[in-house]
Amino acid sequence: MTTMTRRAAMARLAATAAAATAFGSMASAQSRRIRHFWWGNPERDRRTFEVIDLFQAKHPDVAVSGETIGWNDYWTKMATQTAGGNMADLVQMDYRYLFEYARRGAIRPLDEFIGGGLDLSDFDKGPLEGGMVDGKLYALNIGSNSQVMTYNTRIFDETGVEFDPINWTYDDMIAAITTVNDKTGGAVKGTDDMSLNITMLEAWIQQNGRGFYDPEGNVTATPEDVATYWQFWADLRDAGLVVDAHKTVALGNSKMNEQGLVTGETAMSFNWSNQLVGVQSLMTDPIGAAMIPHKPDGAPGQFIKPSMFMSLSRDAGDTEAAIAYMNDWVNGPEATAILGLERGIPCSPKVRAALAPNLSPVESLSVSYFNAIQDKVGPLPPPAPKGAGEVSDAFMRTSESVVLGNIAPEDAAVQFIEDSQSIVERAL
Amino acid sequence: MRKWLNRNAPGYVFLMPWLLGFFLLALGPILTSLYMSFTRYDMVSSPRWVGLANYDYMFTRDRRFWKALDVTMWYVVLSVPTRLIMALGVAMLLDKGLRTISIYRAIFYLPSLLGSSIAIAILWRQLFEGDGVINALLARIGIEGPNWIANPDTSLYTLVVLAMWQFGSPMLIFLAGLRSIPRDLYEAAEIDGASRYRQFFRITLPLLAPVIFFNLVLQTIEAFKTFSSAFIISNGTGAPADSLLFFTVYLFNEAFKFFRMGYASALAWVLLLIIAFFTAITFFTSKYWVHYENERD
Repeated sequence: MTTMTRRAAMARLAATAAAATAFGSMASAQSRRIRHFWWGNPERDRRTFEVIDLFQAKHPDVAVSGETIGWNDYWTKMATQTAGGNMADLVQMDYRYLFEYARRGAIRPLDEFIGGGLDLSDFDKGPLEGGMVDGKLYALNIGSNSQVMTYNTRIFDETGVEFDPINWTYDDMIAAITTVNDKTGGAVKGTDDMSLNITMLEAWIQQNGRGFYDPEGNVTATPEDVATYWQFWADLRDAGLVVDAHKTVALGNSKMNEQGLVTGETAMSFNWSNQLVGVQSLMTDPIGAAMIPHKPDGAPGQFIKPSMFMSLSRDAGDTEAAIAYMNDWVNGPEATAILGLERGIPCSPKVRAALAPNLSPVESLSVSYFNAIQDKVGPLPPPAPKGAGEVSDAFMRTSESVVLGNIAPEDAAVQFIEDSQSIVERAL
Repeated sequence: MRKWLNRNAPGYVFLMPWLLGFFLLALGPILTSLYMSFTRYDMVSSPRWVGLANYDYMFTRDRRFWKALDVTMWYVVLSVPTRLIMALGVAMLLDKGLRTISIYRAIFYLPSLLGSSIAIAILWRQLFEGDGVINALLARIGIEGPNWIANPDTSLYTLVVLAMWQFGSPMLIFLAGLRSIPRDLYEAAEIDGASRYRQFFRITLPLLAPVIFFNLVLQTIEAFKTFSSAFIISNGTGAPADSLLFFTVYLFNEAFKFFRMGYASALAWVLLLIIAFFTAITFFTSKYWVHYENERD
């Protein structure tokens, strides 16, 4: 995105905000109750409930109830509640689903509250724009993140791997994992096999100069893009540098605690940067953060994306209370201190500055990683079309056949791209 | 009328809970899903009429639909006979040797109670994983077992074994059937010098035919509807490589993962028709192999 569009967007934000203050607070006569619904993990749930308690202590007239569930069931429950007309007032939103929910009117624009109940004056504009749909702010960024290769620094140090975690290339990566493999006698593999990882595939394609989808939502990835990706990992697998095929398939879309890095079977895995805190909490060896390796020309493959948003739902009753809660969430010094970096890097510089002195080593790692990659990442890709979730399922099952050697990468790639195109067409 | 009522009223009274449930709770959703199967409905915007498009896509373009049918049919063909044989075998053991010990019946029935539970599916996953219990046992006798669950060639068999182990309810019905076979038939056969083997095929099986028929129908329907174990073991997706893509797992994914309620409803109706078709076939063939004691030829 250019500076021009950013500036234009923010001007629009400011204008609507000014208008909004005029009819500011329309307190409803209903009993003051708000519901907040998010996908989480035990650590996130603990922190969020603590913020809810804090808000209630300050606003005894408002009853806040928190509802949480894992990512996989979240969207099912959300769709059911949307169909039933009983969405929570505030819902956690993901970039992948944002456009669908916004365009169908299931969530409301926040523009009228900005400057009124919602203070976004000092927020970073880039991350904020990630929540805009058709020129309106439908989702408030509650943390940014990026892709990261998480590695075990003890193993890398002991085996004498030397590399530049920001600018390294795929050849550097092969050298590194070969070293790990040789020095440990194969006891520890250099990395998990990423054949099944569609996010790494997308970066691989981006490094070839195009997105998996174009802005209109058509599939622009080519069979060659996909075939070369699978072949790259197949070569490493054949050379015994990554875990064996059956293990890779068994891991599938495994949870964090089953990643090779965490179990100690490998020295490196893939994560999103807001997961660094979670990964470190499962390990004793200190972890390091590297970018996805580059191709020789260094073209960017990864990007910074809003990791999560908070949105105001169509079914919200007491919007004033809901917005007050949302505002406290992103600005309140106590609330933001409790939430920390768990959902990603906050987009208020004030909040980041307040958090800085009390960061744990792994939180400092996230921040310094985040700062280091700023100039190395590409723009946020256009939102994926409807059907993208199904495409990643198709990728998963085709990859499984490739990894098990039931189909050659070239043939599988042709089939997968055809499948993707028909999935996207059908989802329209 | 009065006579009819006198004769049938008690039956309907006993059926009441089911009838009430069906008419008050189930009938509405069933009819709604029939309507939905002719629409596109994503749960966020309202349903849109598309005529037969869902059925057309299913039969002409949807490769995964055929894959799901293939997986489910194999499962039915493999799991129903093995489960029934297992059930009959255990029933005969219990009928002969251990008939007074009701605790054994409870123990043998237990897997069926637990079988459909999530916990057992998770346990099963761990038993058959690459470094699971089964392979640890095989390793003791020097065999290196594959990762049964992650291998598309073997994953379905782990579920067939699970189905076999859940023989409890057909076993109880077989047991009741065995009890109703008059003992004097066996005594007479023994006096005539019939071997155990012969007794089984000439007395037990023919007289048990109505019970076998009943169990066959119920278990076939049950097998077509298998969901939770396949869902858990395949991580909810039918993985690896769609080898565990049971019809119901596919249906669930279409409905609750990709929000195609219309298409999923169409799938559900097709499954109903498939089950009805196979049940009808079983009923049709039954007149050639099932004979009831009170029948007069």
